[in-house]
Amino acid sequence: MATDLRSPLPSPWAAADSVWTANERSLDVARAVLGARDAPVGTTPKEVVWRKNKACLYRYLRATPATQQTPVLLVLPLINRAYILDLRPGASFVQSLLGRGFDVFLLDWGIPGDEDRNLDIETLVTRYLPRAVRKARQAAGVAELTMLGYCIGGALVACYTALYPDAIKNLVLFTAPITFAESGKFGSWTAKNAFPIDELVEVFPTVPGSMPDLGSKMLNPLPSTVGTYVRLWDKLGDESFDVAGWQAMYRWVNEGVPFPGAAFRQWIKEFYREDKLARGTLEFDGRRVLLGNIRCPVLNVAASADAIAPRSTTGSTLSLVGSADKQELLVKGGHVGIVVGRAASNDLWPKVADWLERHD
Amino acid sequence: MSNPPEQPTRLSLAPDPFEFWRQIYEANERAWNASLERAMGTPAFAEAQGKLLETILSAQKTARDSMRTYLETINVPTREDIARLGEMIAALEEKIDQLDDRLEARLERFEAALDRAVARAGVEARASGDGRARSRAKAG
Repeated sequence: MATDLRSPLPSPWAAADSVWTANERSLDVARAVLGARDAPVGTTPKEVVWRKNKACLYRYLRATPATQQTPVLLVLPLINRAYILDLRPGASFVQSLLGRGFDVFLLDWGIPGDEDRNLDIETLVTRYLPRAVRKARQAAGVAELTMLGYCIGGALVACYTALYPDAIKNLVLFTAPITFAESGKFGSWTAKNAFPIDELVEVFPTVPGSMPDLGSKMLNPLPSTVGTYVRLWDKLGDESFDVAGWQAMYRWVNEGVPFPGAAFRQWIKEFYREDKLARGTLEFDGRRVLLGNIRCPVLNVAASADAIAPRSTTGSTLSLVGSADKQELLVKGGHVGIVVGRAASNDLWPKVADWLERHD
Repeated sequence: MSNPPEQPTRLSLAPDPFEFWRQIYEANERAWNASLERAMGTPAFAEAQGKLLETILSAQKTARDSMRTYLETINVPTREDIARLGEMIAALEEKIDQLDDRLEARLERFEAALDRAVARAGVEARASGDGRARSRAKAG
């Protein structure tokens, strides 16, 4: 609002009104942020196929029978909500796969509580994943399926496929860190002399979701904190701006999931610090996890500007697996841009679906 | 907010304070962020962060220990007690899953054996049927 130059001193009411309306967009920013926690997400209909502890295996409902023979099992990272792959209509990797005729399953690890403090990655790979795969195969009535893992979920499915290669027809990794010799800032922040991992998991049975989230934000400190709101303020002036889409993404980013203490310790010590997976020294259930045992076709999708799983952690995956049929898709953008956003839905997802079709 | 065209002489009484600092921020974001990133990438930062975390954890541990002692004194289950119950339930679930695994494996073996037996019986039945037919043909 403005005031008339002819009146030297505006009334207090006019001044208050001026301040109010001049900052109306700031109020819109607050409304968008506060309303984000109720943003509708993960709306594609699905049914529960299997449960174990907090983990849940879902099968997405199809209106028509699947036209592709090989179902796809999506495995999410432990520290994020699973709905990122089905964020909202029109921005859903799940819907994209359903549209291409695939039968889609998703393994949601759920939200661990204090009672899950001893749940480690070994247990997830050797007790949870084999059963989830079996249940998905039984539900779909097939002998083999495609496994697709995102981020830490990718490392988990790589370990699983190395140990139990029989039922896996194809393996797809989305920004999955596998080699940790050069693991970027996360590596230096969690180094042995810098990060008190044992003390952390002793005090916190489950590491609060805000901690990995803070780490991710510190990789790009200003744009991921202050910049988020400044850009929102800018965009709110544009009538075509999709506020609901922004809110769904904001909700996901800020709805971190606690990391079970034992799994976090194993992730930091055996993966980040000792690089056991790439070195072939990782042992689960008394068996070596050798990536060379992976013989099925592998598609490794990596992001060029990924600060969370930098290229040094994703770049040598194909040289470690034993598959003859292997391919890498390097896309422009960051860690999350692979699973949401226009570039992902217009370019990457169709390419992934094409690859899956060729390997059906 | 923009001025209405019919009142060109009006000016904003309260310039938007957000707009003011937004312009400063946008002009400097890249430089400030680069400086922060550089600082956060140093071993000294990682070490300082670790020390800070250790201090926070130490305080948190003291608070938790005190609370546990207090709750035990007044005979109220602690958070650890409840978590232990949850762990026992999860362990029971794991045992049921193991039984389920074994049952399914046995069922699969049983079904395979049954399929083989049915196939064998079919072969034998055909063989004996052929034999009876040959006998009838000879007798005829």
